[in-house]
Amino acid sequence: MSTQSIDLPLGHDQGSEAKITANSKMIKPATPMNALMKSFASLIVKHGFLSASGLIMVFPFVWMISGSMKTNDEIFSNPLNILPDTFHWQTFVDTFESAPFGLYIMNSFSVAFFTTLIVMINSAMFAYAITQLKFKSRTVLYFIVMACYMLPGAVTYIPSYITLANMGLLDSHTGLIISNAASVFGVFYLRQVFLKVHPSLIEAARIDGAGEIKILWAIVLPQCKAALATLFLITFITNYNSYMWPSLLITSQDLNLIATGIRQFFIAEGNYGLNWSQIMAASTIAVMPLLILFIICQKTILSGIADNGVKE
Amino acid sequence: MKINSHTLSRATSHTMSRTMSEKLKVLLFIAPLLIPLLAFWIVPFGWSIYISFTDWDYISPEYSYVGFENYQYMIEDSYFTEALYNTFLFSLGVVIPTVMLGLGFALLLHKNFRGSQLYRAVIFSPWITPTVAVSIVWSWVFETKSGLANLLLGKVGIDPIPWLESGDTAMTVVVIVTVWQAVGWTMLFFISALNKIPESLYEASLIDGCSPLTRFIKITLPLISPTTFFLIIVNMINSVQAFDQFQILTQGGPSGSTRTLLYLFYQQAFEQYDMGPAAATSLIILAITGVLTLINTEMGKRWIYY
Repeated sequence: MSTQSIDLPLGHDQGSEAKITANSKMIKPATPMNALMKSFASLIVKHGFLSASGLIMVFPFVWMISGSMKTNDEIFSNPLNILPDTFHWQTFVDTFESAPFGLYIMNSFSVAFFTTLIVMINSAMFAYAITQLKFKSRTVLYFIVMACYMLPGAVTYIPSYITLANMGLLDSHTGLIISNAASVFGVFYLRQVFLKVHPSLIEAARIDGAGEIKILWAIVLPQCKAALATLFLITFITNYNSYMWPSLLITSQDLNLIATGIRQFFIAEGNYGLNWSQIMAASTIAVMPLLILFIICQKTILSGIADNGVKE
Repeated sequence: MKINSHTLSRATSHTMSRTMSEKLKVLLFIAPLLIPLLAFWIVPFGWSIYISFTDWDYISPEYSYVGFENYQYMIEDSYFTEALYNTFLFSLGVVIPTVMLGLGFALLLHKNFRGSQLYRAVIFSPWITPTVAVSIVWSWVFETKSGLANLLLGKVGIDPIPWLESGDTAMTVVVIVTVWQAVGWTMLFFISALNKIPESLYEASLIDGCSPLTRFIKITLPLISPTTFFLIIVNMINSVQAFDQFQILTQGGPSGSTRTLLYLFYQQAFEQYDMGPAAATSLIILAITGVLTLINTEMGKRWIYY
């Protein structure tokens, strides 16, 4: 005890904190055995509660996958069986045959990918301009962009629709991509990140005669790889999942994105309320790519959302 | 003298061309974002205001300027007042449980322990998935004849409830789906706020012998209040703009009981082609969002503790 307390002021921050807690625990007049039991019990309660909530959260997915493996008769006769009697992979084949879900997913992926790519480029250039280039109107410009943050989609839908109609870009992926090409979130997010890049690095590059584009590409961007990955994933996911605007623009079936495609399959005659196993298979087809993407990039997505964007 | 003025003019023309190229450079950097922003955000905004003062029907090229008629009509229109009320009800119904559950999960999960990452991922996972697809799954859960919800109710001897066919319960279903999707996202923000609270404060309270509850009320809550406020506002803005789950689950029905402002806008603009009233409705949505955003930024300025 005494050596520890002598240690305290000299020790490292981390170590001393641990010691304080250790000490304060020892002050408490609880027998070790009792305390152990108590913490063990609370651990069980905690994990019990969390597993139960976790199960509720994933249950719709489990229910969906299980439903897609059952036959329609089984869905209605034994609805509560999570594991189907036999796994009917055939449902997926039938579902893929009854609507072009592969094509829908390809459409969603390519539209989301190109939108995200353009958003990354123009947000990075804009954020670079307002953080690293000196010009009078940069604060005003930033505020104009941020003011657009509060514009709900509904306000811009009618005129944007007319604009795209005038450009002859209704019912086309190009129209969808260019109308989503400006991202206020992208600017907001990258501005915060670029402000943290040390100015001396940029100064040094300028003195060495590097052009601004080169500085952005070779010095600023490589320092923000983690943030760029996060922005990419968030923008991609949002665009992949978006429904209202694409459903207004796209009218031909083979251009549908997955969200519109699956809704049409859902409301199509003869499906609603009858063919649940195929509907669940279709939902599985729509949800799975994103769940897999999430499992792979979990760390980036979770920490990226948690660490950024709360303040400023 | 001559030489002097000559060099002077050369110098000015030199700086002038330099500022010109500086300006071009700035323009090169901001144009790729500014052009789509102008074309699909800023100009449409002004245009929407104009349309809201007309009776344009989208199909015919002629329209007349009706002034504030659309707005006046709105106040008398029972569809509008009902939609406004539904939007309010929906936002409250979503925000309160989302923020409370989000905070609860964050309190349990903000410290790293074995399995905490997995729990976080599981609770967050609904946010990733397309709302349309998961709403379809939920519509099956709440299906009246063979849905999971009624099956479970049947096990405890309660009669099946016509969830989506009844005006009393349809909104509850949409609220449940929305909360389910938003809770993990809210939790993540709370986790990062909780982790920013200095450990020393808790240590001090431990020495003072505070109970966990006093510690929570006196230290945790005040320190996370800016985040809480932010999350309340952002979740509210998101609920005002919720559309996908409504379209799959209820289409605004039964008999308008789940018709929110955004759904009313959709019906006015893209089902009835009443562009004037639709634009007016969209501007009311903007006004609500704008007020919420302004409150958020104002409070954000005052409440930042760290």
